[in-house]
Amino acid sequence: MKNIKLIFAGVLFTLSASFIGILLSGRVQLGSLGRAPAEEGGPLFPLREPGLAIQGRQVYISLGCVACHTQQVRPASQGSDIAKGYGPRHSVARDYVLQSSVLLGSQRIGPDLANYGARVSSENEIHAHLRSPKAGSAMPSYDFLYTTGKDGAKVPTEKATALVAYLKSLKIDYSSPEAKLNQ
Amino acid sequence: MSQDSYRPSFNLSRVDASVAQPVRLFFASAFLWLILASVLSVITAIQLKDVSFLGGCSLTTYGRLKALEGNLFAYGWVTNALFGLNLWLMSSLTRFEFKNAWLANVGGVVWNLTLTYGAIQIILGNMNGLSLLEMPKEVAVASFVGFLLAALWPAVAFSRRPTGHVYVSQWYILGSTFVFPIIFALTQLLVLWCPAQGVLQALVHSWFHQNFYLLWFASSAIAAVYYFIPKESGRTVSAYYLSTIGFWTFFLFASWTSPATLLGSPLPLWVQSTGVVAAILMLIPLVILAINFLGTLSWNRGISQSWNNTTLRFVLVAIFALILWGALFATFSTRGLNAVIRFTSFNTGLEHLLTYSFVSFVIFGATYFILPKVTGISWLSSKLVHLHFWSCAIGTVSLLIITLLGGWQQGSGLRADWPSVIFPSVLLLIGHIAFGINAFGMLTAKLSSGHESTHA
Repeated sequence: MKNIKLIFAGVLFTLSASFIGILLSGRVQLGSLGRAPAEEGGPLFPLREPGLAIQGRQVYISLGCVACHTQQVRPASQGSDIAKGYGPRHSVARDYVLQSSVLLGSQRIGPDLANYGARVSSENEIHAHLRSPKAGSAMPSYDFLYTTGKDGAKVPTEKATALVAYLKSLKIDYSSPEAKLNQ
Repeated sequence: MSQDSYRPSFNLSRVDASVAQPVRLFFASAFLWLILASVLSVITAIQLKDVSFLGGCSLTTYGRLKALEGNLFAYGWVTNALFGLNLWLMSSLTRFEFKNAWLANVGGVVWNLTLTYGAIQIILGNMNGLSLLEMPKEVAVASFVGFLLAALWPAVAFSRRPTGHVYVSQWYILGSTFVFPIIFALTQLLVLWCPAQGVLQALVHSWFHQNFYLLWFASSAIAAVYYFIPKESGRTVSAYYLSTIGFWTFFLFASWTSPATLLGSPLPLWVQSTGVVAAILMLIPLVILAINFLGTLSWNRGISQSWNNTTLRFVLVAIFALILWGALFATFSTRGLNAVIRFTSFNTGLEHLLTYSFVSFVIFGATYFILPKVTGISWLSSKLVHLHFWSCAIGTVSLLIITLLGGWQQGSGLRADWPSVIFPSVLLLIGHIAFGINAFGMLTAKLSSGHESTHA
């Protein structure tokens, strides 16, 4: 192998093979995936994110939350995510079709958040957790996202409000054609 | 360790002198970024155990510092060092004298200024959510130009080489040099500029990640191992005829392994399965590499002789790390085992094994060989060399034990917390500081030869 063109062509071929075999083939299967109703005639899922939640996603990214949290529930055959209560069903590709930036994550220093919005009772609960996480939690306080009001009470900044709206919007509590809730 | 490295000042060869300036620039930049990344590594390790450490400020959240550490390590330390390593190796193998090496200097400056800007943006929170792609997308354009200016010179040297013989190291260098701009441009396009829909982004990202680690990092490091083993041991590579198969199978299978890092994700099962198959097929080139490397060093007390040579000592550790990585990656890409270790510190350990225990150790070993040749100065302190080796060797082994075993325990439900890596991180920092003092002592010392200025 003394010819640089041969080496370049060979390397290009190996990269092209995986690009076509994995990425383009994946796109053929998933590229046209859209929202779908849980049952015929029902509303389409996943629901569109509220504008505030879209802003909150940027805050989530900006703070680096993805370093500790995943947003994917694995099938029961591939881990104990459902048994741990991370979600009522496993995540499917359709759950992410509306997301501008997909944040699957790769480490669980904290819990999975794919269905976090359904696990918490209210936005106040999320605010409380962000300001002062429970003792023993691996999460630091995000108190800097809050200011102190005239009455001494903590007031969420715009970033905190958006982040909480985003976290509350994280739900996979609906059936999808690929994964029903009762399975 | 060999006393060869501690020789007195000497004149540079014409070939070495022709690339000395850019190689010194790349190495100096790499060492600075390494120390900075190591400091961040200690800080983030402390933050995992003391969540209030440097808390109370958005600039120092764990997520931002971890992203910064990863980028500085990958683009600052490893990539800069590989620019210098590949350039020096190719010029040395081809005996090609560069006349316009200043262009590589420009590339190095552009690359490092871009990285500095990107690092500041990460700290300010203007970042993306995918690892190693956190820097804002506008940074990518300048990075791309910087890479082309800094890294394509090995291809120039190869195509204009005065000698006809071609070594296996040169294939790997050329392969890695061609791969990076292609995967970088395609990934930036499909993830940041015109984002693919939904989980396809994660697939593109994993494709980039695996190609970046295996075909840019590891491929360049393999080139160096193929060079330094025969060079420093005085032996010919065993079963050299297998190296062609090793090269092509390495490039072919490595590129398909990305879905193996996404098992259990919402991607189609067939996509995930291709990754598993590729991860197991990767054993073919890795076995060939093991035969080539260990076969050369194992006969006639070669390994114990290698232990007495500074460069080969680092390279030897690196070879065992590569073999271990291949075995673990293939084994834990099977669905049953992967279900246990997914999302745990086990994956951190695997990544460390490849990028640090293998790639960085090769770079360390290479630096001990190359730096005297491009500075004309001997290594200042053999004690610092010993401190560097032992601190980093103990650090990397302890980090591997902690993260791999800890990850297995996490996945098996035997522990809930993330294993602490403060101790190994501090050891690595100490080793890097010792290395930095020695290296910067050489880089800042006045060159003993005026030879260089006529050829640089």
